[in-house]
Amino acid sequence: MEMIFAGLMDSISPASLMFVVVGVAIGVLVGAIPGINGPMAIALFIPITYYMTPLTAIGFLVGLNKGAFFGGAVSAVLLRTPGTPEAAATAWDGYPLTQQGKGEKALRMALYSSVAGDFLSTIVLVVIAAPLAAVALFMGPAEIFALISVALTVIAGIGTTSISRGLIAAGLGITVGLIGTEPVTALPRLAFDIYQLEGGLSLIPVAIGLLAFSEIIIQMERFTGKGGGAEHAATVFSSKREDRLLSLKEFFSNARTLLRGTLIGIGVGAMPGLGAPVASFMSYDQAMKRSKQKDQFGKGALEGIGASESANSSVVAASLIPLFVLGIPGNLAAAMLMGAFMIHGMQPGPLLFKENAQLMYGIYGSLLLASGFLLVVGRFGMRWFCKAVNIPSLILYPIVVFTCIMGSYLGRSSMFDVVVMLVFSFVGYFMRKFDYSYVAFLIGFILAPEWERALQQVVIISQHDTYMFFQRPVAVALMVLTFFVVARTFWGSIHAGRKKRAAEAAVAAVGQHKGD
Amino acid sequence: MTRINRDSIAYVVIIIFCIVMLTWAIPTYTPAYPGYGASAALVPNVAIGVMLFMACLSLFFVGMASYLKKPLPVEEREFPEDLNDGSGFTQLGRTDMKHLTAIMLPCVLLVVAIEYIGYALASVAFLMILQYIIGCRKWMQLTVVATVLTAVLYVTMRYGFGVPVPGPQFF
Repeated sequence: MEMIFAGLMDSISPASLMFVVVGVAIGVLVGAIPGINGPMAIALFIPITYYMTPLTAIGFLVGLNKGAFFGGAVSAVLLRTPGTPEAAATAWDGYPLTQQGKGEKALRMALYSSVAGDFLSTIVLVVIAAPLAAVALFMGPAEIFALISVALTVIAGIGTTSISRGLIAAGLGITVGLIGTEPVTALPRLAFDIYQLEGGLSLIPVAIGLLAFSEIIIQMERFTGKGGGAEHAATVFSSKREDRLLSLKEFFSNARTLLRGTLIGIGVGAMPGLGAPVASFMSYDQAMKRSKQKDQFGKGALEGIGASESANSSVVAASLIPLFVLGIPGNLAAAMLMGAFMIHGMQPGPLLFKENAQLMYGIYGSLLLASGFLLVVGRFGMRWFCKAVNIPSLILYPIVVFTCIMGSYLGRSSMFDVVVMLVFSFVGYFMRKFDYSYVAFLIGFILAPEWERALQQVVIISQHDTYMFFQRPVAVALMVLTFFVVARTFWGSIHAGRKKRAAEAAVAAVGQHKGD
Repeated sequence: MTRINRDSIAYVVIIIFCIVMLTWAIPTYTPAYPGYGASAALVPNVAIGVMLFMACLSLFFVGMASYLKKPLPVEEREFPEDLNDGSGFTQLGRTDMKHLTAIMLPCVLLVVAIEYIGYALASVAFLMILQYIIGCRKWMQLTVVATVLTAVLYVTMRYGFGVPVPGPQFF
């Protein structure tokens, strides 16, 4: 109880409060700018958290992520260009409302739904993470090894378009993650006689290169040699009160949809590999199927905005459940937060609650406060954030590029890290172009040392007795699940191909029959 | 570039990379087995082995599909609108390569130049060139954005975080 109180008191210290507010505000701002999403913003801002305490750093990054999720809705509603992928479903009903002059009402619905989903999801995280972590403490190295194997296969299989390319990306990520000092011999491995590689690659340049820089290079393709600017948003809101404000009746008439969206978001967020876009589309689909006004969807239904936003925002806190309980990041944002924990000398997982209990309760406090600040910052800064969508790309892109370069340098004050960032932006560029999952790569990179450590512990404890692994039923079950995921995904893609070909053949046969 | 071409090129490059790693890089740059635990080469070998197996398998499927003139397995996408041409694969042509070079070259030059002419000059020049490459032709905007951004990051790094800026200190 003392720990809980001390942790919560830490979270309301002036520095912590300030960084959470700043994080939320920056998050909404960057989320509103099309092309910059939450994980990208976290990658760009991680270097400055070097200079913060662990609590303020995590509070700032969590605030940033929460803000970016709502920020994505701003450009979705005003421009029909989702600032973040998960806001795509919001655009379907948000933009028609903007065309009717009800953009402010749509944004208010998006904000209140985001806050509701996020707050409920954070409560679920607070209630279940610590008890689950206590259970997870009974896991040994064999179970951890098997669990990471499952997580990597699930992320490679579900989160990508092809499991073979997902596994290749994860394998490459693991290989890159193993560069540096080998844990048993304490000698450099795969360092290629480059002394800067002997300590391993830092997450910051790798993440900035893969997530931010490579993405910006692709976005700049639209402008090379041609010039260009931002699409201008319809920020002229109606002056009519009923078009601007959202009444309590309007909000609460969608309570069931919001609750359903939140539950979908929590379920999806807690599962590794599935991201916020999945939750958002699933919730929108369910809302449309169960709505009494199905015909209004796509034409400006507040229910559609609520369904999408409550679901995608509830993923933020829910994705921290596997991270806090098992030390496995469920999605890209959680992977980046895991990196931030590691930068501050902590290994996310069940031991976190035992070794850093006060900090964890402080983080809980910051998470809850970030939900409240999102409401305040979003509500009072709404019109100001709307202007962010009009920032000209010709000014924005050089700023992002230069921030990527200097952000990579800032981490260790080393130009070598800038070179690493450029190399990985090159890798990331081709991974995007050739459709390889950079998410699987990054999660493989982050989990590789822990995966190897667990394997080494299994081998050392068992004294090379491979049967030891089979004496751990949970580990065996998890390994069986790993093979099942691979087999199921392979079978699924082959089966889908056959079905498509059969359907095409049937359509062709019908066409021929009609022609005859 | 068709999807079969794109995938074939990628798988062949991956297979070559894996062979180089397995036959040269891992044996040469991995510590010798100390006599306990697992060999330091085990996990890299497994990771690269999985990559090699997947690439060979996929190349086989791509080859078969090409030989039998059958379409490749369906790839479900969350955002088909993200694709450049809507044909099921991303474009990667000569124009994209030129664009990539046009962006990466100034970045590489910045890394080299910053060591010789210092942060301020190199950064201003880099930002002006970058803006010009992406199409900005207003000299006032080029100069103002480059100078202000360089100055803001200088102040942030030097006085905000106490980090020395890279390269020689001219001011």
